Amino acid sequence: MLEIKNLNASINNREILKGLNISIKPGELHAIMGPNGSGKSTLANVLSGKEGYKISGELNYLGKSLNEISIDERAQKGIFLAFQYPTEIPGVNTSNFLRTSLNKVRKAQGKKEIDALSFLKLVKEKSDELGMDEKMLTRQLNVGFSGGEKKKNEILQMKILDPSLIILDETDSGLDIDALKIVADGVNSARDKKKSFLVITHYQRLLNFIKPDFVHVLADGKIVKSGTKELAMELEKTGYKGIN
Amino acid sequence: MLDLKIHSNEIDKIGKFSKEEKDYRIKNLNYFNDIGLPNKKDEDWKFSDLNAIVSKNFKKLNLKLGKSDNPKINFIKEFEHNYIVIINGKLTASDFKYEEKNKIDLKPFTNEDYSNKKENNPLVNLNHALSHEGFFLEVKENYKFNKVLVIYYFYTDDLDENLLNSKNKIKIGNNSEIHFVDFIVNESKRNFFNNIYEEIILEESSTLKNIYLQNDKSPGYFHKYTKNKLSSGSNLSSFIFPTGLKFNKLDLEFDLEGENSVCNIQSAAFLNEYDHQEVKTRVNHLYPNCKSYQKVKNVLNDNSKGVYQGKIFVKDVAQKTDAYQLSKAVLLNERSEFNSKPELEIYADDVKCSHGSTSGSLDKDSIYYLMTRGLSKKESTKLLVESFLNEIIESIKSSSLRNFIKTKLENQLKNEHKKH
Amino acid sequence: MSKQNTNIPQDYKYGFTTDIDNIKAPKGLSEETIKFISKIKKEPKWMLDWRLKAFNRLKVSKEPNWQKPKYPKINYQDLYYYSAPKSMKDKPKSLDEVDPKLIETYNKLGIPLNEQKKLSGVAVDAVFDSVSVATTFKDELTKKGIIFCPISEAIQKHPDLVKKYLGSVIPISDHYFATLNSAVFTDGSFVYIPPNTRCPMELSTYFRINAAETGQFERTLIIADKGSYVSYLEGCTAPMRDENQLHAANVELIALDDAEIKYSTVQNWYPGDKDGVGGIYNFVTKRGACRGKNSKISWTQVETGSAITWKYPSCILQGDNSVGEFYSIAITNNHQKADTGTKMIHLGKNTKSKIISKGISAGKADNTYRGLVDIGRKASNSRNYTQCDSLLMGNKCGAHTVPYIKNKNSTSTIEHEATTSKINEDQLFYCNQRGLNQEEAVSLIVNGFCKDVLQQLPMEFAVEAQKLVGISLEGSVG
Repeated sequence: MLEIKNLNASINNREILKGLNISIKPGELHAIMGPNGSGKSTLANVLSGKEGYKISGELNYLGKSLNEISIDERAQKGIFLAFQYPTEIPGVNTSNFLRTSLNKVRKAQGKKEIDALSFLKLVKEKSDELGMDEKMLTRQLNVGFSGGEKKKNEILQMKILDPSLIILDETDSGLDIDALKIVADGVNSARDKKKSFLVITHYQRLLNFIKPDFVHVLADGKIVKSGTKELAMELEKTGYKGIN
Repeated sequence: MLDLKIHSNEIDKIGKFSKEEKDYRIKNLNYFNDIGLPNKKDEDWKFSDLNAIVSKNFKKLNLKLGKSDNPKINFIKEFEHNYIVIINGKLTASDFKYEEKNKIDLKPFTNEDYSNKKENNPLVNLNHALSHEGFFLEVKENYKFNKVLVIYYFYTDDLDENLLNSKNKIKIGNNSEIHFVDFIVNESKRNFFNNIYEEIILEESSTLKNIYLQNDKSPGYFHKYTKNKLSSGSNLSSFIFPTGLKFNKLDLEFDLEGENSVCNIQSAAFLNEYDHQEVKTRVNHLYPNCKSYQKVKNVLNDNSKGVYQGKIFVKDVAQKTDAYQLSKAVLLNERSEFNSKPELEIYADDVKCSHGSTSGSLDKDSIYYLMTRGLSKKESTKLLVESFLNEIIESIKSSSLRNFIKTKLENQLKNEHKKH
Repeated sequence: MSKQNTNIPQDYKYGFTTDIDNIKAPKGLSEETIKFISKIKKEPKWMLDWRLKAFNRLKVSKEPNWQKPKYPKINYQDLYYYSAPKSMKDKPKSLDEVDPKLIETYNKLGIPLNEQKKLSGVAVDAVFDSVSVATTFKDELTKKGIIFCPISEAIQKHPDLVKKYLGSVIPISDHYFATLNSAVFTDGSFVYIPPNTRCPMELSTYFRINAAETGQFERTLIIADKGSYVSYLEGCTAPMRDENQLHAANVELIALDDAEIKYSTVQNWYPGDKDGVGGIYNFVTKRGACRGKNSKISWTQVETGSAITWKYPSCILQGDNSVGEFYSIAITNNHQKADTGTKMIHLGKNTKSKIISKGISAGKADNTYRGLVDIGRKASNSRNYTQCDSLLMGNKCGAHTVPYIKNKNSTSTIEHEATTSKINEDQLFYCNQRGLNQEEAVSLIVNGFCKDVLQQLPMEFAVEAQKLVGISLEGSVG
């Protein structure tokens, strides 16, 4: 699914990722943990194609290089980033936005556009699965949403767009326990053999609800330790200082 | 109608000048005479029709002053300070007892630049043509003033239908810092027109804080044009506290000529009777990463008129500009008036520019609340007005200065309270 | 006939010309031209006298020059002031007699005029150069006592109404272009809604400039009598030509006691090509008088076209408790220039006004909001709220805000807010990450930025306007 080899990334001449390697197979869920400033969000941004970074190394997705592929094309090819801070876009209706987005993804995959009725059905079904009120979608995109609502909205979008590679960028930050469970349920119900997940988090807490296949520790732009979910437990006890 | 054309032989009455300087003065006089005193058809004078105001209140404008004895100055006792005394525009005394003398240069103003053009503001041309008094103050590099400097602008009681023109220039060297107060003391009870041209130059990383204060409200028709030039890293704060004149227009221009320069302009005024007060600003963002902030508050009672015209100009190269402008006015009387024109002219895209302007009565709910707590309507109004204006005064760091200005405002409001 | 613009941008789809024989007034501005227009319109003498009075005034008035967009001098003697398809000379009695070429033109513009295909719920007056081609749904409106007809017809059939109200909001002497229009106006719409009548459908005029070297000077007069309501829409397009064409219209609205007029414009005159060649000079005077108590006038405009747009749809709030609103989107791209806004003149007590303006500037364009809020001495307990937002794309364009705010009443409140910023990069990134390309993302975000205005438009127009917003900005983002 995703193959990252010796990835370096810098912004404004500041090196952030320094030779990062990771390999994710279909169906796997990898967690990346690390202290603040270790480069977690940069990794998410670089994978999504965000501009402004100077990049070297290999980034292969589904066997092909992601170099030169724009943000929207990556999204259309099934890369989904759940934002740490979902952006507010005033005046834009959430439901219309999601339908536009879904049709872009479908079109790129050679499917025909979804009609209004089927879309509403799909939204209803997915929001029910998440135990969410679909009325949220009649509001302006993320505008005036609470932190929890924003994150739930990201998970709902993930469920509806049905991507192949899902990057969750600190989706657990700022969530109370109830919202955290909804988010985790959403992720767990989306897991299947074809999808891969990269879960970026600062705390082990989320991993009590989402069981990772692999856990990596990111520090100073590199993976310094990899293991299974026990590694996360260990981190909880020792803190990031205990690693190395 | 008053004949506002000024004959070129008036220049000879002021003094003897070299040919070069005389030519310069004549050219400027011609520029002025082309337009005369500006009227409301001139966009910049839309809300302050100077031509009409002067025509209505003056029979003549005399350039020649009577000979007056040096008046006694009541120096401010509330805080220690250096001072300069300017009488009817003329530099007459100074004292820098708290400072290192070799770091300061003060002398009467002499013109060195004879280039001339038609200025946007015709009163600038008028000043160039006729001014012959004023001062030049320079603060040398790397020097921070120990105490505040008060510049006493004293106007004598014999001024009557006179036209005064004076010119000042202040230069602050690299990494230097000065705080000064323009303190206006007007003894004349009659009409006269005072026209000041001022140039303030902030060199790299220098800091200037200045405060405009009137000793008391007084008749008099004042106009001041100031050109402020800010080099990179410099920081200018300007606080303006007018207490009322028959006419007072401050036309302030700020050129942010280097990166990371910052300017902060704030004003608070309580006006009554027939006061006419205008603050006009133009902030020119010419380089990237500069910041400007403006907040202008007016409370208007009786027949007073307040005007704020503020323009933020952002040149195409001035990316990352952060510019803000706010004007708030409270009208207390059905005959008072507030006009504003907050303007944005922007040619760079990566900027944060905004402005707001409100005018209206005091919040009725607040008055109601205070009255339920036992205050009379007048007392409630006074309290709300005071807190409205104090917000600006509070941002002055020096406590002695802050208290001095606060007391002035308090007295002003107390008098108002007694009057009605 | 001037040559067609060969450098045709793909995004202006209304740039075609209709090849049709025209009757034209002699070139140039003179008493003869005015008499020609008046004669061909079979006008009564009072109307001709009115025009000539305006013409005399014009001789002593000067073109204004305070506005931001400057334009090359217009040679008023080198223009045609009247141009009409020959077939329209003897007024066709029904649509069957109208030249099929004209019907076809409106079909192409998406405004079918024939009975079977006409837009449901919208009555259309189609104005082609200087004449009205057809007015739909006339019979149904007549039953309710509503008059909706070309103004030239109203001058003949309803002289009392025209005499009473024409020039009562925009006096002959108002300013140069208003005076010019008063002298030479050719056609436009006339609407009268009788007391206590709610107009059952949207009324709409579709303006089309076709002939070359011709100015369009239409005149619209809308009167909403006591307790009535009308919603009126106007649309405009023109062919692509290398020359600049002048469009100087006057629109007057009058709302009596308890009446409401909603006036919406989607202005898509030809903006000129990418290098700023050609395009319409859109110098329009629009003014409404809320003459009666509790009356309301609401202007909504989406301005995407024209080389230069210069207009200030205004409200004079005379009646106590009257309400004025102005909702505006002005988009300028390439070399377009717009200087637009409103005037809200509060005269009556308890009057309220609201201004929402969204300016978007891209390419090398210049966009100015200019507005006046004036609360007079007697307008106690009045209120104004103004919100002006500008969006800049690139640093070759300009966005300017020039509000004039005058308050002479201590019981009245004025609030004004304005912001200028560029399109938010985080928003673009978010949309991109959901699969939208740059242009789609820009269109979506800009439409969101404009939502408060777009939602004021009647449904049929809102969808069209949203598309227009996207199209107008194509190619503006690297």
